[in-house]
Amino acid sequence: MKLSALVKKEFHRFFHDPRLIITILLPGIIIYLLYSLIGSFIGGAETYQYQVYLSGQSLAVQSMQAAIEESGSKIEWLTPETPKEAVEKVKAGEASAYLVFPENFDAAVLGPSDPAHLPVVEFYYSTADDGAGEAFYAIASAVLQAYGARFTISAHNFMGEGDVGRLVMQNLLPMLVVTFIFSACMSVTLESVAGEKERGTLTTILATSVKRPYIALGKILPLSCIAALGATSSFLGVMLSLPKLMGLNLGLLLESYGFSSYLLIFLLIISLVPFIVSFISLVSTFSKSVKEASAYTSVVMIAMIVLSLVSAFVTDLGIWVAFVPILNVVSAMQQLLIGGMPVLLSLLSLGMNLIYTALLVAVVSWMLSDERIMFGK
Amino acid sequence: MPDIIFENEIVRAENLKKTFTLSRKQQKIDRTSLKRKVAVDGLSFSAYRGEIYGLLGPNGAGKTTTLRMLSTLISPDEGDAFVLGHSIRHEAAKVRDCIGFMTGELKLEGFFTPDYLFDFFGAMHGVAKEALAKRKRELFAKFGIDRFSGVRVADLSTGMAQKTSLVISIVHDPDVLILDEPTNGLDVLTAKVVTDFLSDLKGMGKSILLSTHIFSLVEKLCDRVGIIIDGKMAAEGDLSSLCAGSSLEEKFFEIYRGIKGEAL
Repeated sequence: MKLSALVKKEFHRFFHDPRLIITILLPGIIIYLLYSLIGSFIGGAETYQYQVYLSGQSLAVQSMQAAIEESGSKIEWLTPETPKEAVEKVKAGEASAYLVFPENFDAAVLGPSDPAHLPVVEFYYSTADDGAGEAFYAIASAVLQAYGARFTISAHNFMGEGDVGRLVMQNLLPMLVVTFIFSACMSVTLESVAGEKERGTLTTILATSVKRPYIALGKILPLSCIAALGATSSFLGVMLSLPKLMGLNLGLLLESYGFSSYLLIFLLIISLVPFIVSFISLVSTFSKSVKEASAYTSVVMIAMIVLSLVSAFVTDLGIWVAFVPILNVVSAMQQLLIGGMPVLLSLLSLGMNLIYTALLVAVVSWMLSDERIMFGK
Repeated sequence: MPDIIFENEIVRAENLKKTFTLSRKQQKIDRTSLKRKVAVDGLSFSAYRGEIYGLLGPNGAGKTTTLRMLSTLISPDEGDAFVLGHSIRHEAAKVRDCIGFMTGELKLEGFFTPDYLFDFFGAMHGVAKEALAKRKRELFAKFGIDRFSGVRVADLSTGMAQKTSLVISIVHDPDVLILDEPTNGLDVLTAKVVTDFLSDLKGMGKSILLSTHIFSLVEKLCDRVGIIIDGKMAAEGDLSSLCAGSSLEEKFFEIYRGIKGEAL
């Protein structure tokens, strides 16, 4: 009953104050508008004029053509004189892709298969220039996936100079997400914890018989939910503006990741929110004022951004990264976004974040009982 | 451990001692090179059922520290105190359940209404919903808060906000009310609201322990008074026997000069 009342109070405080709701949702809207605006300046077409070299035949080709035309793009199928010529054209950016089906591909895929000798579809494309190669690869992969797992795709991506920005964006996305989460957590936690301490209203609650862990949880649980809402708003702002910012087709982008990838990304984000809220609650409980807590938290935020950047530009950090909060989520998300499935890293990260959160809640509870921290001058 | 007999004692403080470490900033403010300050130094006193007991002393005498110890917000370094027989050292939760605590400044969140805060603090004290609703009706009607129960505390007049604060401090119908400087910083009208409120509470059979440096408040409200100087109990007793014909102010300064030896 006491915990429930504490939780409800925080929700009441938030959901009955339009200014707070705007504060938490506005970043997502601003991000969407800003990134979309930047995207419109940079340019970026969502429809393409594909030129694809094709060797071999498959019913999948018709499906690919239908999918492409449905998206408003056009495709011209070309027959190479030699495979080398097609590869060179793709490398030079003069063709979107080169697709090679092995002989009797459809029969091999649709008939009885030998797992030891699966047919291989060769795929040459370049993510350079207008992004047509990458977009075609996404469509073709999605169509081929409908055929099941009875073949393998051997993809060869020739990256051009224009890809650097794109790759940087992909690498920076986890960092951006973490930064938005941190900002959302900061905006709600500082005011609620450090603010209450500074105004003395926390003392009024401390003078009741409610247990200190309840007070800590009564703050951290609802604030995590509210911060998750803010983080979701920012995350959606980024995701929805990506097509305009990077000239990608959102549908294809979403299709290129499986349900399990999304689930893991969602769980990783969710696991990070209570951890950061708990951490900022700890800093806020320690501080004497919102101003002091803001100063400490800003330093932590800078450290967190540096930590995220490390993961963005350094790959293969190893499984030990699961034990480093924030870095573990950034690293796992990065691997998921490039198409990997770091199950062990993700699960370990989720577990560690949960343990760290529980430890932080225990420390905040102890701090609430410590008179030097709560009443020291 | 000898048996403790409380009878009508609602509060019994036994040799309470509290020392604080001074920060450099505080050392500068206090103009001292000492790193530790004894805020309360072996304080003992008793307050009895149905009376208003006043702790009188200058700023820095140890009044707030004493009341914070009795409210279990901070722990004594030495000694112990018993509130309705419960030790502040070993039964903090029980002590908090049977006291209402309020500092002079309003410490309620301005965003919420008296109605919401009454229910919230009722839940904090574990008061059952039906009993809480009944008590809210009675107290709000008695102290005229009912007409403003849906107005945010930030939008209430200072007097109404202070009344709300006092009513919320007794939401769980505590036997003992501990008030730290209840009229400090208030204008005369709001101060009267508070003193009338405390008189009403006394009439309702509540026992009140308050700290103040305002002589008139003690003279008007308190049955007994303890004068604290430098964390020690300098004098204690009922007003008539303590003052013995002189005013409380004259008596206080006589005691103060006797201890400090300073010309005022």
